[in-house]
Amino acid sequence: MSSSRGGPGPRERALRSERTRHLRERGPALRTIRPRRVLDLLRRVSEVLETVVDPEVAAWSVLLAYTAGEGLGFNRAFLLLADGDHLRGWFGVGPRTRDEARQVWAEMRMHGVLPLDRLAQPDTRVVETEQRRHAATLASLSHAVERGCGAWRRAFIGRSSHPNPCVRHWVTALESRELVVVPLMASGRPWGVVLADNFVTHAPVYHATLEAAETLAHYLRAALERTQLLRRVQEEKRKRLTAEHATAILETARALAHDLKNPLALAGGVARELMAAAPENRDTLLRQLGIAAAAISRAEQRVGELVDGLASRADGIVPEPVEVGGLVDRVVGAFRPLAGSRGVRMLCYHPARPLMAGAVVRSLERCLENLVVNALEALRESGGEVHAAVHEDGDWVRIEVADNGQPLPPALRTDPFAGGITTRRGGSGLGLASVRTLAEAMGARVEYDEREPGWVRFTLFLRRWS
Amino acid sequence: MNVSRLLFVDDEEGFLELYRAAFGRDGYAVETAATIEGARERVAQGGIDLVVLDIRLGEASGLALLRELKARDSRLPVVLATAYARYQDDFSSWLADAYIVKSSDLNELKQAVRRCLGTAR
Repeated sequence: MSSSRGGPGPRERALRSERTRHLRERGPALRTIRPRRVLDLLRRVSEVLETVVDPEVAAWSVLLAYTAGEGLGFNRAFLLLADGDHLRGWFGVGPRTRDEARQVWAEMRMHGVLPLDRLAQPDTRVVETEQRRHAATLASLSHAVERGCGAWRRAFIGRSSHPNPCVRHWVTALESRELVVVPLMASGRPWGVVLADNFVTHAPVYHATLEAAETLAHYLRAALERTQLLRRVQEEKRKRLTAEHATAILETARALAHDLKNPLALAGGVARELMAAAPENRDTLLRQLGIAAAAISRAEQRVGELVDGLASRADGIVPEPVEVGGLVDRVVGAFRPLAGSRGVRMLCYHPARPLMAGAVVRSLERCLENLVVNALEALRESGGEVHAAVHEDGDWVRIEVADNGQPLPPALRTDPFAGGITTRRGGSGLGLASVRTLAEAMGARVEYDEREPGWVRFTLFLRRWS
Repeated sequence: MNVSRLLFVDDEEGFLELYRAAFGRDGYAVETAATIEGARERVAQGGIDLVVLDIRLGEASGLALLRELKARDSRLPVVLATAYARYQDDFSSWLADAYIVKSSDLNELKQAVRRCLGTAR
């Protein structure tokens, strides 16, 4: 505050002195950009940085805010990051030459392009292109961290006469008259540096612009630290998954060698042995042929399981051992109250001993629910019976759901699982279609028949789990 | 002339039958064991000149039996015969006198048996 009489007081003198020093070190504040515009810019950039997951996109976003006409308006900007004892050029935005600048800016004016509009939806290809485009310049900016760098605190303007060799190197490499240097410090050493200048327009840098540049650079640092951490976490996760996959693949290779190569080698070995010395005794011959046949059959079954397993993995579904009788009992039991209210009798049969099949519990439950609902719909008017039964069938476990309600309408009989045909059975017409989709995803299949007069039967075939 | 006595250890009965026929025809005395316990017992009784050992024996590992056999008598030749080639990366398998990947062609196994018997004892 100035004194009303006489010269300025000590406080006023101190403030003037501070302003003079500031102007000398940080360049002239010829006029300021509007604070509201700066605040809007900072808000926009911080909103973008909150959701960014790539360090490159974070750098591009902030440097775009540096260089956009509706941002800080620099002609170009670069980010250097500390790497051991060096500051290495990492990202750059803006034209590389004066000719390129004039051409690009003319095109932008002609098309009314506002660069900051691209902030909302960063295009990673554009970001990659921008990083590649500046690769040579970024390489030329890399420089060893000099002792004087540790004294940096705030943003400043560097010129060719600057005492710090790093700054002189950057000014020379960029052929810059006035280079804004925004240091980002950590434990008394540069963590990174943002450089920006107006190498084409030579426009002066305002004090408020310098302040805003400093704030944006700190936003960038926070975003880079977050995204780099995220990338490291993702990288670790990827490595762990790769290791797990490798282990699983090795285990699969071992299992295949044992379960597939063994029987094939055995069958082939027996065949060769028979060719070399066919046994005269018929029983011996039959026994050896039996060994070969059993081995081939085992290999065949394993190949089938492998194919089904691979197919279901492709769908993201991995069958696991499921005790089928208990599951069918539970699903059918859940419908008994509804069935009772409709005058429908529900019977459920399954072997007393546990019967295991490869399936996904939730998918199998959904299949059964759809089949039972379909049966109950068919009995809505007339009442009747629904029979659910579980049977062993060689390598398969068969689950049948049959009802003595209305037969399937002719339109559905050709392929009741095609979907899209609406009848009272299946409601939307998609219930049976989803049964087939779910069943196939588990390596199972579903069939329909009306072989038994008066009965409509749907059968799920699940691979037996051995 | 002494007949060499071979002990084949494999959990696959089919292989044991194949070995009995093929090596028996070549003039060896062939004995078989489907489990580690059975093999251990038979070797302990003595008179076995060479063991052909599968690695994956159900839940048990033939490599454990290999270590045991070699600890008991390092001169007893043991040939590993397995479907999985990469077990060779397991240093436990290096104790074996030969490592054969199972094949429908038994010639490689037969050559290994002959080679090991020639250098043994």
